[in-house]
Amino acid sequence: MTFNRFNRRLHLYLGALLLLWFFVYAISSAPFAHPRWFEPSSDSEPLWVTRFDRPYELAVPGGADLKAIGAQIVRDAGLNGSFGVYQPNQKQINLYFPNFLKPVRVTYFIDQKRLHTEDRRFRWPQFLQSVHARGGYERDSLLDDAWAVLVDLNCIGLLVWIASGLYMWWKTPGVRGWGWLALAAGWGLFALFLFAG
Amino acid sequence: MYLALFFMPWMLMYALSTMLMNHGPVFRKPPQFAVEREQTYTAAFPPDAGPRQMAQQVLSDLGMDGAHGVGKPGPGGRLTINRLDPVAPRRITYTPADGKLIVERQLFRAPALLERLHRRRGFQQPYLIDDAWGLSVDLVIAAMVLWLASGLWMWWELRITRRLGALSIATGLALFGFFLLTI
Repeated sequence: MTFNRFNRRLHLYLGALLLLWFFVYAISSAPFAHPRWFEPSSDSEPLWVTRFDRPYELAVPGGADLKAIGAQIVRDAGLNGSFGVYQPNQKQINLYFPNFLKPVRVTYFIDQKRLHTEDRRFRWPQFLQSVHARGGYERDSLLDDAWAVLVDLNCIGLLVWIASGLYMWWKTPGVRGWGWLALAAGWGLFALFLFAG
Repeated sequence: MYLALFFMPWMLMYALSTMLMNHGPVFRKPPQFAVEREQTYTAAFPPDAGPRQMAQQVLSDLGMDGAHGVGKPGPGGRLTINRLDPVAPRRITYTPADGKLIVERQLFRAPALLERLHRRRGFQQPYLIDDAWGLSVDLVIAAMVLWLASGLWMWWELRITRRLGALSIATGLALFGFFLLTI
């Protein structure tokens, strides 16, 4: 097999393998680019539905390890799964359980001694945004790390796609002239956006 | 092919920035600023002016009009304006009490530049250049969908690649489906 042929096959099979990711990354960019188009109408049902709201008390000393506090809340609430935790202010601790289809969020109101847990209704814009934005190796979960590896593979796939596409263009003499023009116009416009911002 | 060559810088930027953002703790650092200039400045804002209008006036007086963000005024009416710019964002702090204005430039870091470009939005500020960027992002989205459709058609037309291509698509679908249901 010649390199030219290998390159064409690589371009094709890589595109086929990562097809769904590219599609989802493409269409999920729309709610980020045009958030107003995807805002729910005023008469639609609330996005978050209360699962339970109950009295709860847990001491939160200053400088406490938030991850440990979060783990305790998760145990006491009878929840499971990988979660993130942060404290937006002195009065509450927020936990979130990212999930593509059914994310959950928990709010512990420290001053009110109250635990509030909600499930998110399925809505396409939020679902697409959650797929688009998910990544990173910070969660203590093997599956989350595996997803992050796939995100890296998609990025590498995109770079390989670009490189193999450039090679195919270069090996097709009949399109070189217009190709140069397209490349120059693209880089020129991109530079304009960079420096005229 | 020509569309892909034209949008190559965007795709390169999205691939590299996504990889950096996927490794956030390694590459993400708090922004550092260097004072660019410090001057006296007195603004006469209309009595009912909100932070947005005040920021607009300050930027206009400085000849730095463009996309920006501004929060509520701080103690003593201190106004902090973030002048959004992909290459050189600036922070402008105006303290009406002592008539002092400081312009700080964010020190350049390539990962931060890529992340700013990735997160840059159009149609949210009254500036043509930002809307033009937003339009270019919309065109990239349309181009990606078109590449997928035309790629599928080309794959189907090449009989010799049908079986392995179908296997690649099925593997991708299965992997995606697995993660959709498990995380």
